[in-house]
Amino acid sequence: MLRFAGRRLLQAIPLLLGIVTLTFVVLHLAPGDPTAIYFNPNIPPEVLDRMRASMGLDRPLHVQYLSWVRAFFTGDFGYSYTGFRPVAEVLGDALPNTLLLGGVSLVVIFVVGCFVGTVQAVRQYGVSDTILTVSSLAIYSMPGFWLGLMLVLMVSSSWWPDLLWLPVSGMKSVDHEFLSPLGRLADISRHLFLPVIALGLASAAGIARYMRGEMLEVIQQDYVRTARAKGLRESRVLIKHALRNALIPIISLLGLFLPLLIGGSVVIEVVFSWPGMGRTMFDAILARDYPVVMASTFLFGVLVVVGNLLADLLYAAVDPRIRYD
Amino acid sequence: MRLTVHRRHLRYLTLTVASLVMACGGDSSSQRGASASPRPDFPEAERSGGTVVVAGRNDVTSANALVSLDTESLQHQIHVLFVTLVRADEDFSPLPYLAREWTFSPDGNSVTFSLREDLAWHDGEPVTARDVAFTFGRVRDPETNYPNPAYFDAWEAVEIVDEYTVRFTVRPTAYPLYGWTRLAIMPEHILGDVPPAELGTHPFGTTEPVGSGPFRFVERVPGDRWVFEANPDFPEELGGRPYVDRYVYRAIPEDAALTAALRTGEVDVVLQPAPAELPRLAADTALTLIEYGAPEYDFIAWNSRRPMFSDASVRRALTMAIDRGALVSALLEGHGDVAVGPVGPWHWAYDASDEPIPFAPDSARSALAAAGWGDADGDGILDRDGQRFAFELFAAPREKWQDIAAAVQANLQDVGIEMSIQVREPAAIAPLVFSPDRRFDALLLGWSRDVPLDDRELWACDRIEQPFQFTSYCDAELDAVLDSMQVVADREVLDALVDRYNDIMAEDQPYTFLYYADHVVVARVELRGATMDSRGDWVSITDWWLEPAARTRRP
Repeated sequence: MLRFAGRRLLQAIPLLLGIVTLTFVVLHLAPGDPTAIYFNPNIPPEVLDRMRASMGLDRPLHVQYLSWVRAFFTGDFGYSYTGFRPVAEVLGDALPNTLLLGGVSLVVIFVVGCFVGTVQAVRQYGVSDTILTVSSLAIYSMPGFWLGLMLVLMVSSSWWPDLLWLPVSGMKSVDHEFLSPLGRLADISRHLFLPVIALGLASAAGIARYMRGEMLEVIQQDYVRTARAKGLRESRVLIKHALRNALIPIISLLGLFLPLLIGGSVVIEVVFSWPGMGRTMFDAILARDYPVVMASTFLFGVLVVVGNLLADLLYAAVDPRIRYD
Repeated sequence: MRLTVHRRHLRYLTLTVASLVMACGGDSSSQRGASASPRPDFPEAERSGGTVVVAGRNDVTSANALVSLDTESLQHQIHVLFVTLVRADEDFSPLPYLAREWTFSPDGNSVTFSLREDLAWHDGEPVTARDVAFTFGRVRDPETNYPNPAYFDAWEAVEIVDEYTVRFTVRPTAYPLYGWTRLAIMPEHILGDVPPAELGTHPFGTTEPVGSGPFRFVERVPGDRWVFEANPDFPEELGGRPYVDRYVYRAIPEDAALTAALRTGEVDVVLQPAPAELPRLAADTALTLIEYGAPEYDFIAWNSRRPMFSDASVRRALTMAIDRGALVSALLEGHGDVAVGPVGPWHWAYDASDEPIPFAPDSARSALAAAGWGDADGDGILDRDGQRFAFELFAAPREKWQDIAAAVQANLQDVGIEMSIQVREPAAIAPLVFSPDRRFDALLLGWSRDVPLDDRELWACDRIEQPFQFTSYCDAELDAVLDSMQVVADREVLDALVDRYNDIMAEDQPYTFLYYADHVVVARVELRGATMDSRGDWVSITDWWLEPAARTRRP
């Protein structure tokens, strides 16, 4: 298992190097450099030249590229052009917030998806199955940013009940630090509510579709019939015998949904002003903040690689038939 | 001129260049909203307390006045966290601030400032002449890369006379002290040892600022918020402790979320909501609109090196063909005026009797015909010597610019001109427009303006190779007018010069000046005492107060 994990991580190195290279090429193919956005008649050209020099942009391209490769191995991506801070600090602040949003979304996606899928399978062709099938297909087709905007408009409209008050921006209230520990948890949960829905609902609908299929297949297996024949309660049959087996292929989907979540976070974090990696990257791209774009692309790559690896390991852990030795 | 173009997409290509709001009461903010009933009054003693939250699209990037580039940062430096040497009144005349008083030498070549002795940095150190001299020294040091060096072009040398007296050598200019109203004094005892080239990356600007102003730094969550608290030791003479206990600035980049946060009560003030939202916000009795003439204008620049745009009569015809009044009513929801020239009604020297060129498609057609443009091949598009009147307009990928471009395209189509719209990122437009051979036809853009109306970078004949002289329009009389405007201090003479500047521009239309937009801020009605003008949205922040009911936030 360890050897497998080690091999996979080693294989990731050329992949990540490829990501850094591609990002570098794309950034430098795009016209305009970071100083070009300072559309200011009164910044003298010398000041701009010095800015360029301090960013290292006056060096030949291959030298710049090599310094990126070095950064890739040392992890030191230098300073953000527009944030006046070390890139490591910028991303260090943003990464936990993105992991929180992504992690909660992932849990919600799987829990909701599996629950809905199971209900549908158990009530196959029933009214609830039909309704859930239609609505999950509809939700699955909704783009996350649109859903996010609709949620924002909905909770801020005048007919939305005060009782169900939900914040539409940021991660913490302005009085967060004055709250009790429990109050802080509630505060963050409240802020998570809408972004998690916007980020995860479509994926949850997707999982529900998979889960319904898997569950239907498992329910028809002989061992489920045996369990029922033993006189076990239906709930026990479903949860202990059917659900656990149906979950195995779903877990392999985990790796599949990670890139989706990470990609989605760019848009969702902008809509909900979530101070995470996605928003950082979005701002950095618009500002041509090369070090932040390079480093965040790299970090997103790492997240996907690690996520896939975790999914594989988890797969082996839940399914004894799978071994990586 | 100074930079406010922000690195974020939402305000790209709006530059702050120059504006002088002199006198005239119409310039200060007007409040209006659906709330007809007057708010209850509260005695002075009951006004203190609460947290006020302001939200804008862009984050404050740095508290370090020597390196930051964006408006939000500059505004927080000069009005919230630090003090400036002098501050500006509504007419942009200098008022005492850190400097109690100042005297110019009889020949006007030196000025001596006497500083207050009761101002302290928030870590307890006194603010002294050394801090002023240090700040000036760094501004003048090319290694610092201070982004607005033009503010201090006329300022030559500094001398510390004593702990609280500082003397400068200076050349006479039209607005000598203006730069000092826009530059927060930085602490020598903290930054003195930092090499100038490393000021930009010093954590003072981002994580550990120590201020001297009415608010103290509490916390920053990058990309999200800055938290400040009232400074109880701020001198009474300068306004004393602000009314609110805490002030929070939040960055919310999405238009819909920005105004939604106001409705959910997460924020009290929203800066410049999308104009399309304004009618809905204005109808809300819980909200009030604060607006003032923004010192800026949007325009279409014509590349006069292109034969089709080289003739002033053709450029005037283009302006006549564009229904700018419709842009004001549809795009700005009426919050603005059709532009005459580069100097708008926010400026004391603006001549209110100037009429903008009217929307007159028929006159445009005949002017174009007089310039030799006819439809010889009958395809509906004008042509001259076999050359079709067809060109590309560069516009940034922001909804506002797309809407303007589409309206202009339809207007020009009506007079037989084919305009195609090229949507490009500002960073992609810049190299084309700035290149010496000016690889563009027309460009949709906005400038904001700064008090000293120094527009030589845009028009001067001797800067025709410089990046911002991209229209390549050049006029000897205009050159003389612009030069004189920099040195004349007499307001009457300056008035005449500014009028002439606007007249020449209106006549020659190197740009089609579209409109002067109002700067609109929306606030909850419980926020009181908030007045704003072209000095900035935070100019009166020490006087803001919250009605008692609004001091507890939900949930």
